[in-house]
Amino acid sequence: MSEKLLMRGNEALGEAALKAGCQLYFAYPITPQSELPEYLSRRMPEIDRVFLQAESEIAAINMVYGAAGAGVRVMTSSSSPGISLKQEGLSYIAGAQLPCVIVNMSRGGPGLGSIQPAQSDYFQATKGGGHGDYHLIVLAPASVQEIVDLTILAFDLADKYRNPVMIMGDGLLGQMMEPVSFPDRSDVVLPEKPWATTGYTGERPKNIIRSLELQPERLEAHNQKLQEKYADMIATQKRSDEYLTDDADIVLIAFGTVARICRSAIDMAREKGIKAGLFRPISLWPFPDESLAKLGDKERTFLTVEMSCGQMIEDVKLALECRRPVHFYGRVGGIVPSPEEVLDKIEQIVAGRCEA
Amino acid sequence: MPNLKELMQQESFFSPGHRMCAGCIAPVAVRQVALAVGGAPVVVANATGCLEVATTIFPYTAWRCGFIHNAFANAAATLSGVETAYRALKKQDKLDSEIKFIAFGGDGGTYDIGFQSLSGAVERGHRMLYICYDNGAYMNTGIQRSSATPLYADTTTSPAGRHSSGKSQWRKDLTAIMAAHNIPYAAQAAPSHFMDLMAKVQRALSVDGPSFINIMAPCPRGWRYDTRAGISLTRQAVETCYWPLYEVDHGSWKLSYRPRQKQPIEDWLRSQGRFRHLFVAGGEEEIKQLQERVDLEWARLLKKCGEAAA
Repeated sequence: MSEKLLMRGNEALGEAALKAGCQLYFAYPITPQSELPEYLSRRMPEIDRVFLQAESEIAAINMVYGAAGAGVRVMTSSSSPGISLKQEGLSYIAGAQLPCVIVNMSRGGPGLGSIQPAQSDYFQATKGGGHGDYHLIVLAPASVQEIVDLTILAFDLADKYRNPVMIMGDGLLGQMMEPVSFPDRSDVVLPEKPWATTGYTGERPKNIIRSLELQPERLEAHNQKLQEKYADMIATQKRSDEYLTDDADIVLIAFGTVARICRSAIDMAREKGIKAGLFRPISLWPFPDESLAKLGDKERTFLTVEMSCGQMIEDVKLALECRRPVHFYGRVGGIVPSPEEVLDKIEQIVAGRCEA
Repeated sequence: MPNLKELMQQESFFSPGHRMCAGCIAPVAVRQVALAVGGAPVVVANATGCLEVATTIFPYTAWRCGFIHNAFANAAATLSGVETAYRALKKQDKLDSEIKFIAFGGDGGTYDIGFQSLSGAVERGHRMLYICYDNGAYMNTGIQRSSATPLYADTTTSPAGRHSSGKSQWRKDLTAIMAAHNIPYAAQAAPSHFMDLMAKVQRALSVDGPSFINIMAPCPRGWRYDTRAGISLTRQAVETCYWPLYEVDHGSWKLSYRPRQKQPIEDWLRSQGRFRHLFVAGGEEEIKQLQERVDLEWARLLKKCGEAAA
């Protein structure tokens, strides 16, 4: 690991992508992620990597499509409205089984919404987003250090599965500054990509990358192949973290920024003698349902806290299969809940004043 | 047309009190457009950008007219819908007033992401005036380069430094591209030449079909100039022929203003912080290239306008 550096989330993400071997980055301005293109536009030419600004988000994601097909590590980033524009491209990339990393520093919606942090793109990120049966792996960091670690992991998973991986942050995580260190990856050998379209010279079979299959049987077979891949991700790529859950009577479920706020609320609740704990999904897709279900084996109450009107709560309820009550607390429109607000909700639930 | 003093007394569809930066020329340009329109009822569509954000901060608005905002890419498409609804209502005798339709977009929302919807709208022939206020970068999100950014300008995504002299491409010639759509009227204007700008707006609104005006609108944050210097910078841009004033009226190219003595581009560059890196040792080559390209573009324009060569 390198020495500790004080870095902004967006910039640390950019540096982590370079450490992971990202050769190409396709950008388009949008608040609150613009520090990422700004950082990489300075940094990439210094180490002979390529930064390119597109004329729109649609152009940027399709540049990713082209570059990923050529077999290099490639990334793009945006924030909610721009991620919406990228959905068609994402569907093509997932259909054509190409590896790439997409960053969403999400903000309040719907429509133009606001530029403040939000988590209301959860459905879009985890349930497909574009057309057709496909999934992205979605990773949700909760600190600047975790942004670094998960960005590197994202590139590795993208190559392993030949699938797009999304880093789901929010405006707050992108803008905040924290000490980070970067792993030394100078001796890491990136995987071979024999499928890449790098120019046919007669030494290997011709490579064709496509998502088009006009024959229904072949398209069905292609979809089944994709589903087998997703099944493998579900079996091996669920990630989560827990805090004081062992003896907890009430377990909060939150990801990203909100998980940190919930930790503070849990500490405050513990001081008041309330046994609260935190379950934090790190992979939003595949959702870590088994670990959560285990917590549901004991007699407990659950509280989902999100910066949305209630999206992840659907996966929480599916995981708990109606065995336990699941409460909800959410703030939207770019409002970040305070630890006091969350504590207040915990106290109300414990006092039996809330219906699940 | 009334003189400047009389004009300043008039109320227009764009009111003072908005929150655009001190020294920003975009609201000056919009005010001149609004004064040229006069009292006719107007519907304005505005793409996302500084102008939209800083004139509509809730619960206030600077717009004394029908106003519709849509995302970055969509001003021309949105106004196409509004204008189509207007024509349908007219056809059914449900509306009898004459309404003008004006879209405003910055260069990011016009040259780049909004270009497809603009091209589509003018090809279909909607009767609307699209005005691009060109400040040469994505100023609203923090000064990222656009396809309107001048060659060698320093922006946050085309930073000047050891490996780069700033943006490495010449700007897209959007006014000529719009003229190539064979629309009734396309023009380039500058707020320093306000009589010319206002005459162009009136001409644009009088034609039967789509029209387009590209207005240079300096940004003190992005160009890095003293807030008093905005208007003199557009004048200088015209005098150096970096931003020539011309119009294409039903296919006929006409120069609106020919500088008596074409000024060197170096003077215009020197007064802006975004070109500061060209004025250290070794920047002479870049300045020479810029001058050569300005000369080339100017010679081409003179030819198109049937003017004697320089």
